[in-house]
Amino acid sequence: MDKKTVTTISYLSRLRIDKEKEEKIVQDLDNIIEFVDQLNDADTSDVEPLTNPLEKTAKTRSDQITAKNLKKELLEIAPSSNDDYFLVPRVVE
Amino acid sequence: MSWETVIGLEIHVQLSTKSKLFSGGSTEFGAESNTHVDLIDMGLPGVLPVANKEAFYKAIRFGLATGAKINQESSFDRKNYFYPDLPKGYQITQMTKPIVEKGSIKIATDESEKVINITRAHLEEDAGKSIHDLFEGKTGVDLNRAGTPLLEIVSEPEISNAKEAVAYFKAIRQLVTFLDICDGNMAQGSMRCDVNVSIRKSGDKKLGTRAELKNINSFKFIEKAINYEIDRQIRVIESGESVVQETRLYDSEKNETRSMRSKEEANDYRYFPCPDLLPVVISDKELKDIKNNLPELPEEKENRYISEIGLEESEAKIISSSKTMANMFEEASSKTDDAKLIAKWLVGDISALLNKDNIDIEESNLTPENFGKLIKRISDNTISGKIAKSVLEEIWESGSDVDEIIKTKGLVQIQDESILEEIAMKIVESNPDQVAAYKSGKDKLFGFFVGQVMKETGGKANPKSVNEILKKLLK
Repeated sequence: MDKKTVTTISYLSRLRIDKEKEEKIVQDLDNIIEFVDQLNDADTSDVEPLTNPLEKTAKTRSDQITAKNLKKELLEIAPSSNDDYFLVPRVVE
Repeated sequence: MSWETVIGLEIHVQLSTKSKLFSGGSTEFGAESNTHVDLIDMGLPGVLPVANKEAFYKAIRFGLATGAKINQESSFDRKNYFYPDLPKGYQITQMTKPIVEKGSIKIATDESEKVINITRAHLEEDAGKSIHDLFEGKTGVDLNRAGTPLLEIVSEPEISNAKEAVAYFKAIRQLVTFLDICDGNMAQGSMRCDVNVSIRKSGDKKLGTRAELKNINSFKFIEKAINYEIDRQIRVIESGESVVQETRLYDSEKNETRSMRSKEEANDYRYFPCPDLLPVVISDKELKDIKNNLPELPEEKENRYISEIGLEESEAKIISSSKTMANMFEEASSKTDDAKLIAKWLVGDISALLNKDNIDIEESNLTPENFGKLIKRISDNTISGKIAKSVLEEIWESGSDVDEIIKTKGLVQIQDESILEEIAMKIVESNPDQVAAYKSGKDKLFGFFVGQVMKETGGKANPKSVNEILKKLLK
């Protein structure tokens, strides 16, 4: 783990990391990874990867429309919206 | 230096379910903005997605029709990225265990036939829509489309040029419409495609660095974008530089591709199994039911039209090539005994009108009932083929009933031979010079007399009767 990796991860996850904390975070993450890395000592060559700890399969739905029109309510709880759309800072392609 | 092109396509097919992949929100196209948004589509905290079984059934139909392996247990993963039209901050997709793997499809270009292998086809949710040009300094977001089920079909990099890429796309479109899993409507974005293009020296084994062209939604643009991109990559390499692996946007107005570098640095999706969703299992019985209910596919239709109905191969090919055309043929045929005549009109006059207006037969005013009736009126000699053409044109414009048009315009064919004889006699008498010339050996003038009778009757004479009568009179 180095500073550059931490910067990349913080950008990808949109989490701002204060400059003065960077050093400590690198150290913390290193410790966490080292701890979790112990798992690599277990021999898993004969084990199927686990997709979910609940050893069950999904209940599914039939193809029915059940949603109500919540346009007004949903737009209201957004940080920024007008009568028709959620509004976000301009995303330029 | 000669170059070889390697192309792979990722086609996103919107599955025609009524509700979304993980919520009971409607997938209706063109609804008022943000009216089909469920709490799950919004990604509000505390909600749980529940998979729509119908989306799996539709994906399996595609898998079976392409001879693929169906994974009866498949699971979902999260693909993480931030974009405003993706409310959760991740897209639910199938990375490790897709529902469909290892299929193939036959494509045909003018030059050759070829089989393209399909690496995988997996289910995933669509994003919403961003509107960039409506609000000063802001982007508007409409989440109606968020959560709509997509089947992403990934081909092997086995496509060698732009024409093959178009043929592949067309083959997939034909298949998904026949399977009734997607409406195939490109203008509404029901099918979109990303194209991976790379070039290498002819004979090289190793693949070159590829560029990904994003979100192309018409046959024409697929071809143009690929051809532009091939030329660009050759220019780059021949000038001594190297192709950068990147995403490029095709600009149809300028006919060029350009880099979308801004997005590139974030291209690390950190996939992991979606903890909100358990693996979905399809039972043997479900799989068998889907298999037993697969609709007839284009090739099967074509063969049946030839062997059972007796159509020409070329006719059978054209009619079976599109679902709506085949539907029209089958429904209209059920209303008359003359399927061959139906086919002739479909391939001939009707195709010409469709091409002229650049529309699908489904969008025209012609219904199978009315079309069947038109053919019936030709077979029972109510109208001549020539009059039928003008009746068809009238239907094309107004959609009016065939019998109604024939009645109000007085188009019923003159069957009474005595009337035709009278008219023919008059024509012969008033053109003595032509009669003399004809009798002296100018056989071609026969057509002149036929034409005059037809003109006099407004095209309503039965041409066969006219020929016989004139032959008698001019002997």
